[in-house]
Amino acid sequence: MRLFLLIAALAAPVPGLAATPTPDWPCVQPRQPHLSLGQVWAGPPPDADTPRLAADPAIAALADRAVQRRLPVEEAEAAIADFAAGASDAQLTALMQAVFDRIDSHRTRLLDGIARYGRKQVDLAAQVESRRQRMAELEKAPWPDFDAIDREEAALDMETRVFTDRQQSLTYVCETPVILEQRLFALGRAIAGHLGTQ
Amino acid sequence: MRTALILLLATAAPAFANRVYVTNEKGNDVTVIDGGTLEVLGHYPVGTRPRGIAISPDGKELYVCASDDDLVRVFDPETMQETHTLPSGPDPELFVLHPSGNPLYIANEDDNLVTVVDTQTHQMLAEIPVGVEPEGMAVSPDGKTVINTSETTNMAHFIDSASYQITANVLVDQRPRFAEFTSDGTRLFVSAEIGGTVSVIDPATQEIVKKIGFQIPGVLPEAIQPVGVRATRDGSRVFVALGPANRVAMIDGATLEVVDYILVGQRVWQMAFTPDEKYLFTTNGNSNDVTVIDVASARAVKSIPVGQQPWGVVVAPD
Repeated sequence: MRLFLLIAALAAPVPGLAATPTPDWPCVQPRQPHLSLGQVWAGPPPDADTPRLAADPAIAALADRAVQRRLPVEEAEAAIADFAAGASDAQLTALMQAVFDRIDSHRTRLLDGIARYGRKQVDLAAQVESRRQRMAELEKAPWPDFDAIDREEAALDMETRVFTDRQQSLTYVCETPVILEQRLFALGRAIAGHLGTQ
Repeated sequence: MRTALILLLATAAPAFANRVYVTNEKGNDVTVIDGGTLEVLGHYPVGTRPRGIAISPDGKELYVCASDDDLVRVFDPETMQETHTLPSGPDPELFVLHPSGNPLYIANEDDNLVTVVDTQTHQMLAEIPVGVEPEGMAVSPDGKTVINTSETTNMAHFIDSASYQITANVLVDQRPRFAEFTSDGTRLFVSAEIGGTVSVIDPATQEIVKKIGFQIPGVLPEAIQPVGVRATRDGSRVFVALGPANRVAMIDGATLEVVDYILVGQRVWQMAFTPDEKYLFTTNGNSNDVTVIDVASARAVKSIPVGQQPWGVVVAPD
């Protein structure tokens, strides 16, 4: 029964554009390895000069600050507004590119972390299953070693609890890329709002 | 952008008071927006996991697919009080009303059926077996043909509304999500979420006359996932919601070419026009807002924060 629940939790059906969880990707949200700038930006496309501008210390520092999740979006918007007061559209585009590059690479690392999390869950599920088999064998012995059975049972309970807790956290883990995407979109909207003002 | 907003508020308010209803899939509620002021009037609980939403032609009954309750819940659009429920079959996702307001055709995602329900007697009239994972639903303007798209079978099924028999199947691209007729019934648009296309079908011959593809500079092709489709009454413009591309494509109805891509909110799925077709509302599931598009200028003029994971939208008729 427990095993059934484990399998069910790993393979729960989901609606919408759902991915089937695999050992390498435990989420129902399809894995989108990279974002693209056009998903969050309808301003001027970056050109050959954009990388140089994006590396400008003032722009780089603002991008570093704006992408921090601990910085409230309102404060990031205010910082962008301060910068935009003296910035050209090319500089705003460079700021957008700098923000995008930071959030996308952070997001890629996060996806890798989620994949590791998923693989650990698969390993743990296998461990739980082998422990259950061991317990079944111990119980079948003509003279059961009750101390050994108790030890196995305690370990099984612990591992099952860890698995279940992690499985419940998975929902939140899987939603973290969306939180980054939301921030990127909000920053893109804030930067775009200052286009054409210089 | 700001000027456009001011213009909108200054010029449009009196003729534009139809309420807008948005289902929030995760918030388990409906957000009601005043179509005149574009202000949120309130959030009302409507059951578990609300997705599809429709309103009767007389504006008296609001229908909500409460997917996890396995029911259609019916509300008084004025008070947002539940008046009754309708049987829907399991996991109703999207439905469409016959142009007369009766019956209701419901796609049951989990058991490969379209359920037909009489909105007057509240009785189930038929269950029509269709392809795997039915989702998109449309009724021809003359009420004679019901379309269902099945996400896994990749087909648009033509169903005779009198006999409940499937009369034709049209193979489209991968994961068809939505179907929309032009008001003269001469064209049917079917979006394919994974295929990334919209098939334009001649309903008379059931032939695909064109497949519309989408390329957005700076957007990876896999992020372009067409879902909702809406055509203006005169058929001159067709709007396609492109999911995680966060854009709505505007298509010239005559040439069937994409004219523009409008940046809206994140994961845009469903859309609804105001009756005068001045505005188009889009639901953005990941940015938890609704974008108001000014149809004439093809510009996003306002973002209205709604509930958690907005899914469907309907505007009250005049």
